[in-house]
Amino acid sequence: MRFRIYRYDPDKDRKPYWQDYEALLQPFDRMVLDALTRLKEQDDTITYRRSCREGVCGSDAMNINGRNTLACITPLRGLAEPVTLAPLPSFPVIRDLVVDMTLFFKHYHDIRPYLINADAPPERERLQSLEERERLNGLYECILCACCTSFCPSYWWNPDKYIGPAGLLQAERFIVDSRDRAAAERLAHLDDVYKLYRCRKIMNCAEVCPKGLNPARAIEHIKVQLLRRSS
Amino acid sequence: MRLLSGQRAFVLQRLSALVLLAGVAAATLRLAFGAPAGLAEFRAWAAQPLAAAVLLLLAGALFLHAWVGVRDVVLDYVHPLPLRTAVLLLVAGALVLLGGWTAVIVVTHAL
Repeated sequence: MRFRIYRYDPDKDRKPYWQDYEALLQPFDRMVLDALTRLKEQDDTITYRRSCREGVCGSDAMNINGRNTLACITPLRGLAEPVTLAPLPSFPVIRDLVVDMTLFFKHYHDIRPYLINADAPPERERLQSLEERERLNGLYECILCACCTSFCPSYWWNPDKYIGPAGLLQAERFIVDSRDRAAAERLAHLDDVYKLYRCRKIMNCAEVCPKGLNPARAIEHIKVQLLRRSS
Repeated sequence: MRLLSGQRAFVLQRLSALVLLAGVAAATLRLAFGAPAGLAEFRAWAAQPLAAAVLLLLAGALFLHAWVGVRDVVLDYVHPLPLRTAVLLLVAGALVLLGGWTAVIVVTHAL
């Protein structure tokens, strides 16, 4: 199977370039990550991240044939050849398919991704009703792979100021959590022309999320809650 | 709602869009069922106080909507602060001038 891989080693290369490969696949190689492993055996300079290899850790997020996804859960069958593998768009490239996620995680930390509750702790744990727990569905499953944020044009224009779909999905996850007591402060923090309101509902985030989540809907829900609180 | 929050612009954009949508629908219906016979009839209609108020409301909605839209485009694409400030001032100035001019035309015609 033919591959075209984005190559860039800032220590050696003046600029990025594409390199073509022919992967000698085994019958049990089914996913793009399997093919990358084969290619790494041929050329050990190819650099990429991977860990769980089953769509849980989000390490191997990359752009495959023009679409952000996880290499470990993208079947080889059906991919047009040559399969182009590129790093996540708009993120600074460290080397080959490895990108710098510093800014992405800075935005993640900005939304305070933890429960804030100064109430006296209960004897055992903070329980939720089934309905309260239900509200977290579609939000808590985010694995922070950055497929959505890297594919969002609003993030491309203002990566340093716009929190981006992944960060805002996580923000919504804590805003709606019944155990959290800081929803008002969280919403006030997001009421900013850059942090939240750069979203234009282009929906690329929902289109490429490998977990099938919909960050655009979460962003819209944050805007509605802000509106309710101010009216 | 904070004065410089994103929410203010967000709400203004949607409210003005609703006003414009209603205006376009009303104008379409009027043109389809009972369009003015000519410019003189339209001018006579526009001279009525209620019609003038509606036209002012539509013009206001149009310029507000345009301001939020252009401001968003500038925030996205024009990053150097001095250039951004200059572009925003230019756009705001142009919209205020055009809006004022529109108001003068509508009001003087109605008086």
